[in-house]
Amino acid sequence: MTASALDTQSDCALDATDQAPAVGSDRRFGAGLVVGGALGLLAAFVLAVEKYRLLTDAGYVPTCSINPVLSCGSVMGSPQADAFGFPNPLLGLVGFTTVLVVGAILAGGVRLPSWFWAGLQAGVTVGVVFVHWLIEASLYRIGALCPYCLVVWVVVISVFTAVTARNLSAVAHRLPAPATAAVKVLARRQSVVVTGWLLVIAALITVRFWTYWRTLLG
Amino acid sequence: MRSNFAVSAALVAAFALVVGGVVWLTSDRGGTAAAGADAVVRADSHRLGPAGNGEVTLVEFLDFECESCLAAYPVVEQLREDYAGRVTFVARYFPLDGHTNARNAAVAVEAAAQQGQFEAMYQQMYATQIQWGEQQTSRADLFREFAVQLGLDMAAYDAAVADPATLDRVLADRDDGLELGVQGTPTFFLNGEQLTVGSAEELIAAVDAAVRE
Repeated sequence: MTASALDTQSDCALDATDQAPAVGSDRRFGAGLVVGGALGLLAAFVLAVEKYRLLTDAGYVPTCSINPVLSCGSVMGSPQADAFGFPNPLLGLVGFTTVLVVGAILAGGVRLPSWFWAGLQAGVTVGVVFVHWLIEASLYRIGALCPYCLVVWVVVISVFTAVTARNLSAVAHRLPAPATAAVKVLARRQSVVVTGWLLVIAALITVRFWTYWRTLLG
Repeated sequence: MRSNFAVSAALVAAFALVVGGVVWLTSDRGGTAAAGADAVVRADSHRLGPAGNGEVTLVEFLDFECESCLAAYPVVEQLREDYAGRVTFVARYFPLDGHTNARNAAVAVEAAAQQGQFEAMYQQMYATQIQWGEQQTSRADLFREFAVQLGLDMAAYDAAVADPATLDRVLADRDDGLELGVQGTPTFFLNGEQLTVGSAEELIAAVDAAVRE
């Protein structure tokens, strides 16, 4: 199976995004998705198992209930932990598996049609919105953090930024010139965007649990 | 891209600097150790019932929404009965951030205290904790009902609850606790020394030993 054979196939697809990033860059991008998907999957899997133990044994203390702030127990026992009537980690198991598999496909050099990228964009967008709802709940309603959830937040934000930057780059040629320039900056500065984004959340966490961090410092 | 790493690292460094700076500016440099003894009981700290003979003082840092404090409550009430006149009991606010209504409850108790009803409101909070604890919405309305039941001057109560000074008074207690190294509730200090007791029996034994000394 050669990449060029597949290239020919995808060129037949409707709007094969002639300005799409070269296959080489999508391969690296795919490798990134594999790493992100695997990390997220691991976290979701641990959360699902912990949730199962918590449900079968009311006295169970999750492995990540370390102190009053870092406490999976209070987060996992909250109503927000079953946002859609079933435990959230189930969504993570499916979602991160998808990210991992898509990443592996891209890393293998497969070119995907634009409708596929649109679907991926829709998925990661829903994911990032949901994660921010969970962040709000964790900080301001539950008042505790769960370490595995933090991993999920970081992965979802990173994957969302990467997918969005990639897709915007692919359609940039259709956008007005200033937007094209902005997209270029975003694509080039992805890691800075993710760092800044995570720092905003870190700042919110620092402020929210300020008194607690102070007691740790003594 | 190397410059991306540099920019990201600079952002992280700036963040760390700001946090470090705020910690440094807000920390009580040098004064902590000296302030220790006074911080356990202040002149305006709330006494539960009449003061004892001054020889033994038991201070509790508490959170009205904390289940362990609720568990300790009957033990403290029993101690108050058994050692009346020999031990001074002091209650100090230590509302935890994880409890939605901890501050509301403490503010309500402080508002009642301004009308001389600290103890009645304190007892009411524990008597009803199961009703209002562990919830994620404000129960200030319920606490106001308690004030009505106690026959408080409601105009004064409402004004006190709304006055930021009332919350400041609550947080002044908590800040003393933080300075003393209180990490959770309930935390007891017997004659100025922090107790590490794991059970009601150990608490009773510690108080009893102090009284016999």
